[in-house]
Amino acid sequence: MHQVRPGCRLLGWLCALLIYAVPLPVLAQSFSVQDARTTLKEGVYRLDARLIFELPKKVLEALDNGVPLTFALDIEVRRPRRYLWDDDIASLEQRTTLQYFALTDQYLLRNLNSGYEASYFTLSTALRALGNIHGLPIIDAKLLRPDRHYMVSIRSYLDLESLPVPLRMRAYISRDWWLTSGWYSWDLGTSG
Amino acid sequence: MTTLIAWLRRISTSFIPVALMGVFMLGSLWLLSAATENSAQFGRLHIVLVVINILGLIVLTGLIGVSLLRLIHQYRRSATGSRLTARLVLIFVVMAVTPVSIVFYFSLGFMQKGIDSWFDVRIDRAMTEALELSKSALDMRMRDKLKETRELARQLQQTDDGALLFRLNELREKSGASELLIAEANGRVIASSSADPSTIIPSLPDEAVLQQARDNKFYIGLAPLRDQGLHTRVAISLEQTDAASEARVLIALYPVSERISQMAESVQAAYTKYKELVYLREPLKQSFAFTLFLILLVTLLSAVWAAFFFAQRLVAPIRILAIGTRAVAAGNYHKKLPVTSSDELGSLVQSFSEMTQRIAEAQDQVKRSQRQADRERAYLRAVLGRLSSGVMTLDRDLTVRAVNAAASHILGVNLDYSAGHKLAKLEIDFPEVTQFVQTLLPHLNETETEWREEVSLYGSGGHKIITCHGTRLPGMEGIPAGYVVVLEDVTELVRAQRDAAWGEVARRLAHEIKNPLTPIQLSAERLRRKYLARMAPKDAEVLDRSTHTIVQQVQALKEMVQAFSEYAKPPQIQLRPLSLGELVREVLDLYRGYGRQISFHFEEQQNLPPVEADPGRLRQLLHNLIRNAIDALAGQGDAQIRITLASRKEGSMRFVELAIEDNGQGIPDDMLDKLFEPYATTKPRGTGLGLAVVKRIVEEHMGNLFAENTRAGARVVVRLPALEQPAGNVTQLHPAHHAKERRRS
Repeated sequence: MHQVRPGCRLLGWLCALLIYAVPLPVLAQSFSVQDARTTLKEGVYRLDARLIFELPKKVLEALDNGVPLTFALDIEVRRPRRYLWDDDIASLEQRTTLQYFALTDQYLLRNLNSGYEASYFTLSTALRALGNIHGLPIIDAKLLRPDRHYMVSIRSYLDLESLPVPLRMRAYISRDWWLTSGWYSWDLGTSG
Repeated sequence: MTTLIAWLRRISTSFIPVALMGVFMLGSLWLLSAATENSAQFGRLHIVLVVINILGLIVLTGLIGVSLLRLIHQYRRSATGSRLTARLVLIFVVMAVTPVSIVFYFSLGFMQKGIDSWFDVRIDRAMTEALELSKSALDMRMRDKLKETRELARQLQQTDDGALLFRLNELREKSGASELLIAEANGRVIASSSADPSTIIPSLPDEAVLQQARDNKFYIGLAPLRDQGLHTRVAISLEQTDAASEARVLIALYPVSERISQMAESVQAAYTKYKELVYLREPLKQSFAFTLFLILLVTLLSAVWAAFFFAQRLVAPIRILAIGTRAVAAGNYHKKLPVTSSDELGSLVQSFSEMTQRIAEAQDQVKRSQRQADRERAYLRAVLGRLSSGVMTLDRDLTVRAVNAAASHILGVNLDYSAGHKLAKLEIDFPEVTQFVQTLLPHLNETETEWREEVSLYGSGGHKIITCHGTRLPGMEGIPAGYVVVLEDVTELVRAQRDAAWGEVARRLAHEIKNPLTPIQLSAERLRRKYLARMAPKDAEVLDRSTHTIVQQVQALKEMVQAFSEYAKPPQIQLRPLSLGELVREVLDLYRGYGRQISFHFEEQQNLPPVEADPGRLRQLLHNLIRNAIDALAGQGDAQIRITLASRKEGSMRFVELAIEDNGQGIPDDMLDKLFEPYATTKPRGTGLGLAVVKRIVEEHMGNLFAENTRAGARVVVRLPALEQPAGNVTQLHPAHHAKERRRS
């Protein structure tokens, strides 16, 4: 199941139909969640996950030309209900930018939530580092009732809104830029 | 759907939404252009703005579509003002589209060229070379640091693990490094020393650094550290003291001097930005072109819509005028026209409204006058209707204009429908008024102003005498406007006059003649009584004869006077419905005694209608006529009297016709005209009143009579008006109204 934010998709469609009149782009599955789990440590549920990012040629070209890419990771904790829509318990968004610096010939990852920066000599190590999530605290166990059943969903996608405006229009209507992992869900407290 | 169209229509005709929409679209376009320029404020709104503008375009297109469809519909229907609207719209559109398109075309060209002019091969090369320069400048410093670090590594090599931290601190301070760190190849930190006391966790480089240091014995590179500027990172692989222990790496971080760091950062930022710009050149052009195109479309569509809007507003007063004119043409002067504008067209509509209002007032006045005239005419008609005199008005060309009820009554025909017909047609439709029309015609000319005529008519009402009093109506320029004929039924008057005259004669006769007769008779009888016996027989015979003659003649005179006074007496008739056939048979019975000398023939038509008559008078009428015929047949062999009864219809009238025919000598021609006058007789004896009495009785019964010669002899015809009701109901019915009236008078 591939999902992007409905608003973005709608806007993309409209752009596609009205501006360039090209057929609706088929969404590419270039991001994927390989493994994800939550563990309870010191009263806090923490996320461990491994995500794989594969970037199409056009995106790589933009990156090499100094265009910063923003990767977003959506994390949601929900309580499924039988007759009603799911109850949203917590949601969290992690945003990280990836930019290439020519002077140092390095790729810089910058976590926009924490401000943590790290440089990498190769893109693959940078992407691997991006995909390795270790012990990210997502929710305090005190906020949850032990007798209830909770679900965690994560999803990673390329944030087109953060692209430079001239590129944004193009990105909305090109399948190469619609990069998302789709939602990946599992029960809280078990591995995915 | 229809409500949506109605809403769009309402929206498309009012001004405020137009202005609001215009302002909104303009604002949205401004924001879009700001967003396209990558402005920080609106950058994130870009796509929303694009969508808003596109939606605006769709709404505009919808409005234009509705307006266009409506215009086409009106054009096809040839609705008022549609052609002018279409022409105005076309002119406005051409006026708006042409300059905007030209501006768009050149703007696009300038924009593309402007963006292209940012990029130059020389700038490109300069940027690359600046970067290279920075790199090589840094390289030189880095090699110095490599050398220094190698020296540090050599010194540390000889240090025991226990003194490692102390030695590390010492060496760091000496070398000016910001951080020194010894780690195992797997990333485990053995010892570290940092210039910044707040740094508890050392900044461990990624695996690639360690890997490279292990493989190549050293690593050198630039490390941009957060908040601390650019650093040179050097990693040296330490020689293994024993095979069992892990390979160790010394990692040193040297701060690059602030100035150089700043310059390098600046060069890098500029280079990165420039590279990004080069890369984004085409998308940027497209993005600008797209925004410009959106602006063009919004402007154009707004202009087209404005064209519709203003064309309709301009044409509205003309349309209103056209509607008003049509209403006036259809005779509706009371239509209110709304004034939609205050310009010349508006004042034109205003003037038109005032004009139609005046016309309406004038027309109302005319209508009031007309109503008044109608009232007066009705009044006049009512007066005329109540008049006992008949009134008939005629046009100059002898067309009947109006006839009142009394005229119809007097003439005995229904003239209600005759208004509008020629007088001559009256003669064709009603033969019984022929005499009347023929009397009128010679007088209806332009020379005779007033005339008077008397007409005798025989109609259903019997014999009538009518006086016609004609007047020419004065017209303009000597041409008569028409004629008025006033009719008076003078039958009764004439009869009354004649009766009065005869009554006077009778009274005088009685007084002047009858009174002396008795003394004359008495005197003659005394002469005879006194002298007859004493006279000589010869003289006595003379006396006897003379006195006898006197007495006889006096007696005859007396009888004559008596008969005459009876004739002159006003009639005392008792009318009742009766069958003429029975009466004739009854009278004929009395004449059976003549059977040998004269043969009587009586023929009666079947189903003869009854007549309203006085049987005594009719009996006298029959006696007089039969005696007259017998007298005419005196001394003639094969004498025959034929009596016939028949029903006749003439025009709308029905008669019962009684004809008495003899085969005698006939009537002398000179007698025919005055046969029914008193004392008009050819007979040697008789009073001379027989046929006069007959005429009188006929007149009393509203009938008429005439005499004529036939091949065999003479014939007298009496016509009496027939009662319309069947004979069986006769006795139950009242006598005819007018007949009764006549009797009373």
